[in-house]
Amino acid sequence: MSPDQWIEQIRAGDQAAFRQFYNAYADAAIRTASAITRNREMAKDAVQETFIRVYRQINNYNPNLPFDPWFYRILTNECLRLLKKDSPLSKFELPDPETNPSLTEESFDYLSDLYDVIQSMDDIHRIPLILKYVKGFSEKEIADILGLNQNTVKSRLFIGRKKLREQLQPDEEEEESK
Amino acid sequence: MSKFDERIKNDLAKRTDKDVTDLKDEIWNEINQELFERRRTKMKRKKRWIPAVIIAAAALVLAFTLQTDPGLALIKGIKDMFAPEKEIIQSIEGQDEPTKVQLNEGKDSEYIIYVDQTRYKMVKGAEADIITTIEPLPEKYPEVSMEIKQYPQDKPEELVKQIEAELKMDFPKLRAIETVSEPVEGYWLHGLTESKWDGKVVDVYVISNGKDGSYVITERYFLEAAEGHGARFRHMLESFEIVE
Repeated sequence: MSPDQWIEQIRAGDQAAFRQFYNAYADAAIRTASAITRNREMAKDAVQETFIRVYRQINNYNPNLPFDPWFYRILTNECLRLLKKDSPLSKFELPDPETNPSLTEESFDYLSDLYDVIQSMDDIHRIPLILKYVKGFSEKEIADILGLNQNTVKSRLFIGRKKLREQLQPDEEEEESK
Repeated sequence: MSKFDERIKNDLAKRTDKDVTDLKDEIWNEINQELFERRRTKMKRKKRWIPAVIIAAAALVLAFTLQTDPGLALIKGIKDMFAPEKEIIQSIEGQDEPTKVQLNEGKDSEYIIYVDQTRYKMVKGAEADIITTIEPLPEKYPEVSMEIKQYPQDKPEELVKQIEAELKMDFPKLRAIETVSEPVEGYWLHGLTESKWDGKVVDVYVISNGKDGSYVITERYFLEAAEGHGARFRHMLESFEIVE
């Protein structure tokens, strides 16, 4: 079923359609929130609140515009709101590489895991990368979601991807360049 | 997609798999509870105690101030219990927007509502009060307004059915009557004429007036203004309180 059909049915108060819509959208939404917040509970709250807002405010959605950027704008803003709200504490909750067994026991491969490289970046580079690679959004869609100029997004993605390339092993870089 | 892009995508998926598995059902249960189960079992009570607390507080202040002559001048009405202005956080597309709103009394001071007076004005009429844009919109735009009207003799459960029948003439795809707890506690009707930018939207809330009658709040706007006027009307309505 297309988003248009779901929206029409959700507007009409169809709870079964809303459940189907949740099943279709939840996986990517959880991945996105989990990657943005880096916190399981915060991701859960952000996704939950987003779906509730979508159900209650579906009438605020303009069907002449694409649905996914609207949905992800709400989700991203909710993630950022929770991060901001929790900021005095969140820095203490990040794992300490010296003491966290899950990090110290990992192999060298883990250190080259691109997820960790993304998470080491600042938000302005990290979040566009997450939106691009979790959901496959275009530069224009990411610009719409984050309320940025498309060229700004292009530049931030370029810098983010450059940092990721720099973390790859030399042999992988060579393979990539072939 | 290049191998490089593929690897980034896979790494992100791999590291978020566990949260998807762990959280998907849990989140749905919470959403289901919030949106559907709670609504079936009970309606939110938040609005019920507020008038009682205000009346009790007003009575205490009144009892105290009536003991002195200057005190008599201090109490002009129960509306004095509300701040003349406050800042609310409006959520527009999930983005928090701080907005200053001003206290307005309804017809015969029987209710109060905080109005964003940078954008809207409240026009008091003999039958109803209307909140609308400060400057009239150009003719090409459909009506944008929020009307608040009291029906002292009509109970909400009967009145909502009557309004539903009337609205169906202009809004053939009118959504079925729903019971809501926000922005006010009562019945909600929603209609849209057509999915065009200027499609007319109507939201009607039918709530108890605390006695044997009802208040009917009718919001009118158009589809393209849903995220603007529609969202702002909703936030203003959240401040609606019956004071008599």
